Amino acid sequence: MKRRTFLKGTVASSALAVAAGAGLLKSGQVLAADWAADAFNARDLASATKSAVGGDGAASADIKIKAPLQAENGAVVPVKVETSLADVKSIAIMVAENPTPLATKVDLSGNAVGFYSTRVKMGKTSEIIAYVNSGGKILKSTATVKVTVGGCGG
Amino acid sequence: MNKKLILMLAGLGIAFSAPMTASATPEDDLKEFQGYFKKRFPTVPLEAYNDGVNALPQYADRVGNWELLMEFPPYEDDVEKGEKLWNTPFKNGKTYASCFQNGGKGLAVGYPFYDKDSKKMRTIEADINECRVRNGEEPIKNLNHGKMAQLVIAFKRLSQGQKMAVKLNSPEAVAAYEKGKQFYWARRGQLNFSCANCHVQNAGNKIRGDVLSAALGHGTGFPVYRTKWAQSNKPLGTIHRRYGGCNKQVRAAALKPQSDPYVALELYQAYMNTGIPIKVPSQRQ
Amino acid sequence: MATKIKARAKGDVTEILVLVQHPMETGQRKDKKTAKLIPAHFIQTMNIAVNGKSVADVSMGTGVSKNPLVGVQVKGAKSGEKIKVTWKDNKGETGGGDSAIK
Repeated sequence: MKRRTFLKGTVASSALAVAAGAGLLKSGQVLAADWAADAFNARDLASATKSAVGGDGAASADIKIKAPLQAENGAVVPVKVETSLADVKSIAIMVAENPTPLATKVDLSGNAVGFYSTRVKMGKTSEIIAYVNSGGKILKSTATVKVTVGGCGG
Repeated sequence: MNKKLILMLAGLGIAFSAPMTASATPEDDLKEFQGYFKKRFPTVPLEAYNDGVNALPQYADRVGNWELLMEFPPYEDDVEKGEKLWNTPFKNGKTYASCFQNGGKGLAVGYPFYDKDSKKMRTIEADINECRVRNGEEPIKNLNHGKMAQLVIAFKRLSQGQKMAVKLNSPEAVAAYEKGKQFYWARRGQLNFSCANCHVQNAGNKIRGDVLSAALGHGTGFPVYRTKWAQSNKPLGTIHRRYGGCNKQVRAAALKPQSDPYVALELYQAYMNTGIPIKVPSQRQ
Repeated sequence: MATKIKARAKGDVTEILVLVQHPMETGQRKDKKTAKLIPAHFIQTMNIAVNGKSVADVSMGTGVSKNPLVGVQVKGAKSGEKIKVTWKDNKGETGGGDSAIK
């Protein structure tokens, strides 16, 4: 019995080829399987929140955001989210006034605890909202970070 | 010359609380200068001035930026690169350490200084390039950022934590010191500010959205990693790079790094920093 | 592009900090010299695994700062356990690094 050899590459790349042909891929954007394009490209807070975590949630005092009251430089604003809530499945950080509010999201597993630290870009004074998925329930906390025009460029 | 400067500033209606007596010695200046800041910021110990604006109580709502960034400092890559450069032998097999007493350890506390042999003020940048030339290498051209900044960091880290102790032990050194002091207190540029207007008289006050850092300690954290400079991929800067930037901001002409006036200015500042530990590099806005 | 990893004990958790040298271009910035838009170039996904087990799947957009930092905390990590970080950006470029819990 003769063995058929499939041409290498055609099967593996077919999904991408179809997507590109159909115009689904934006230029410069590879279809990374785990990257929620809808959520990251959403331009208003409500749709970004819906896409990222499913919808708004109640404020929780058990979620703490550590961020400076005033940014030193809007290009690098450190943000830390800590929560004592149980069964933290994910933490999402939004910058409400940014053109695309969803900055980042982490899906936690294994021995990871309710903690996420990163540095975000802020165009102007804005609320930073941390959404925590605790056992399937969405809760949030908010902090305002001021961004002012610098005085000492140089 | 000092009397003229005082009269000029007084005539412009600026009250300043750091008077310069015409016959002051550098030691007198130092006492007055550090005394002024002790009075202005009573809760800030001398040693803390190497953290710049972060040491000031007026920066409390923003110091979190720096504290959080320090958990994983953005300059670590540059520090590693500088160390590598410092330890990599020249084509002739020798290393930078061979040019300096004690391999360079503990020396940064005495820079800048007047060298009788070359009859010149020596800065760390000048000596790094001198070391290169003596060992058959080309001097580094860019004295503002990049490799030179990384090497200056490596050199100063050999004195990390040690207190500044510049000596003015020759008439030439004192003359350079006086030139630097004049530069510091003279108004310049279209905005007509002196370094002192912002960093002495208005230290801790706001200038638009920023808080002005205190003059005391300036340089002890340099070379600096500036977030602002990082956005255009040139995050590191030597103190002369910053001098140029500051001069431009008051719409004065920026001088070339390592030019005589900047070297004199660096000497004045380094002497005013006597007793403050070296802490390099620093991260600033 | 270099990936740096730090792991340190903080009470009963281990904090893992990852710093990647990456431009995180938004695609909205103009090149000063050519006046052309610099194309978007940013990390989209990152995975952190400890002792072979995934602990965090990070996704990020252009709102994350240049040279992005990611920090997570894990419980019960033992000294010597391996940390593995892998990431992928919008251009399909990948990177990562390895470290160990001290």
